[in-house]
Amino acid sequence: MMLSRDGVSGLVCLAISVILLTQTFGLPPAAIVPIGPAFYPRVVLSILMLLSVILIALDVRAMRTAAASAAAPAAGPPPNYRLVLATFIEFGLYILLLPPLGFRIATFLFVLSLQVTLEWPRSTKHWVLAVLVAAATSLICFLIFQDYLSVLLPRGTWSNM
Amino acid sequence: MNHYELLLTHMGTVLHLQYLVPLLVGTIAGVIGGALPGVTITMTVIVVLPFTFGLDPLQGLAAMIGVYVGGSAGGSITASLIGIPGTPSAVATTFDGFPMTKKGEAGRSVWVGVWSAFIGGALGGLCLIELTGPFASLALAFGPWEFFSLFVFALSMVAGLVGRSVTKGLLSGAIGLTVTIVGPDPILGVQRFTMGIHPLEGGFDFLPVLIGIFAFAQLMPDVEQLNAYDPTKAAAATKLSLKVSHLSVFWDILCRPFILLWCTFIGIVIGVLPAIGGSAANIMAYDQAKKFSKRPEKFGTGIPEGIMASESSNSANVAGSLMMIMAFGIPGDAVTAVMMGALTIHGIQPGPLFISQQPKIAYGIYAAYMIALPLMVAVIWIGSRAWMRIIMMPKSMLIPIVLVLCVIGAYALGNSMKDVYVLALFCVIGYAMVKARIPLAPLILGVVLGDQIEANLIQAVSTDANPWLFITRPISGAMLAASVLSIALAVWQHRRETKRAAAAAEEEDTDF
Repeated sequence: MMLSRDGVSGLVCLAISVILLTQTFGLPPAAIVPIGPAFYPRVVLSILMLLSVILIALDVRAMRTAAASAAAPAAGPPPNYRLVLATFIEFGLYILLLPPLGFRIATFLFVLSLQVTLEWPRSTKHWVLAVLVAAATSLICFLIFQDYLSVLLPRGTWSNM
Repeated sequence: MNHYELLLTHMGTVLHLQYLVPLLVGTIAGVIGGALPGVTITMTVIVVLPFTFGLDPLQGLAAMIGVYVGGSAGGSITASLIGIPGTPSAVATTFDGFPMTKKGEAGRSVWVGVWSAFIGGALGGLCLIELTGPFASLALAFGPWEFFSLFVFALSMVAGLVGRSVTKGLLSGAIGLTVTIVGPDPILGVQRFTMGIHPLEGGFDFLPVLIGIFAFAQLMPDVEQLNAYDPTKAAAATKLSLKVSHLSVFWDILCRPFILLWCTFIGIVIGVLPAIGGSAANIMAYDQAKKFSKRPEKFGTGIPEGIMASESSNSANVAGSLMMIMAFGIPGDAVTAVMMGALTIHGIQPGPLFISQQPKIAYGIYAAYMIALPLMVAVIWIGSRAWMRIIMMPKSMLIPIVLVLCVIGAYALGNSMKDVYVLALFCVIGYAMVKARIPLAPLILGVVLGDQIEANLIQAVSTDANPWLFITRPISGAMLAASVLSIALAVWQHRRETKRAAAAAEEEDTDF
């Protein structure tokens, strides 16, 4: 019997609560106040653990009662998880490359690549537009934040830009 | 100076270009963000947030209030013209707004919504000005026991009210509280759960967590369905005539005073309830208007009552949320949670002492709110056609820009990459929670209130170690009882709905 997304969420939260709860026993006891640094986390993590167990139990019960009935097909077009995964990867790379490349280069590359990933430009005009949007986002953001709002955006350790 | 003299003085201050420009820009951004399907007011305020860091607190707040007010009304434009709500708080506007447009009354449909939002917002603003002070005075009588119980009550109520599962609502709140226990403890500064990772030693800052949770949670469903959005609908909407007699629209609204006042009241009350927001207010008000109407069968066919109910409650909800954050320091929804974060960056703590310690900001908020309403009307009046063109901007272009602004918003908090990494971590968590159908609102409230719950708990126990005081002190005891009651009520309601659904399914089966 496979758990549904509720059961899996419950298991993940249960694992996190158990791991963190065991760590509370390594915290020092109270010195000044009646309750120490471990008290409140233990309460919170116990609640998290209890709720996770309830969620898993409800999921198992629901699966038993609804075992015979087939799931209704979802309405609308199926989600495009390839695009989601690509967005996550490009966003992760953008964050990783911000310090070495600097804000201007990394942002230009990120905005251009994500635009192209989400909707492939069908003509030269679309390509030019995508490049212009990427360049404008990078430069306008840099200008506004660096020069007018005193935010020191990352300068690249490789590019010095 | 009395209350209204102070308000007038601060309205004069906000009318200076220094404050008026951020308010106007915020209102325009709010109208556009609200009108863009898939971009919520929360997302818009997060995008505007980094621009406010370099401003003084009132300028920044004016911009955010502009977004809030503009976004609440902007959502109704797309809801009425193309039948797609620009924000979740305009869902009920589509029920009658779009049918009215299909009947050839596009102008009436949009303007009944806008003027209802204006009147509902103004009435809500009066309550905000009149009631925030008394609420704050009430909160001043609270000790740590009462604050602890109030925060627990807020969290339990939200967990019970949002989403389809009480367990998941409570779990979400518990996850939010878990986020706040990472880092130093509030008394001795003992490091907890940092796992030797140096950047975690300060704990998680609230704003990168919030930006991360909402960024991917709200944008990725759009990415999943990127090819399903039909821009031709919006293109057709730009050709619709919005010309209308504003006098007749006013008459449409004012000849139905009961619906207007009742739905405004519902909006304020929902706004005061923590972290629920306009998405619940508009549906609840629409349902109430239908129940009290002499012609409920006409709802959904394009009548002004439906639009009025949704928009007046939606707009008044903003005032209720602001009231809650100013009097108790509890955000009424995710937008006020961002505002709270922005205030704390400037070293200002919203709560019972806020009005007395920061009168300039408090009255500035009232003034900005009251001025944002006519600005919102003017912005829609002058630029409705232009905003409709902007909402045709492809999502493939919009999403990367929004993500860049989210990164800047997190980075600018401390000019460090640490907050950007936190943002990335919570982007993943936020999207995972959306896919697991776990509501986000309790998590946000948990993150906002977690530190305060712990601090008040320690303060209460340090003052008097008797734990029974949490129950025997009348206000504290009543709020803890209300917490238990709200969870019990939510469980009972969910069970009743499940049984009804099962019974309905059985009846359907017997038909065949």
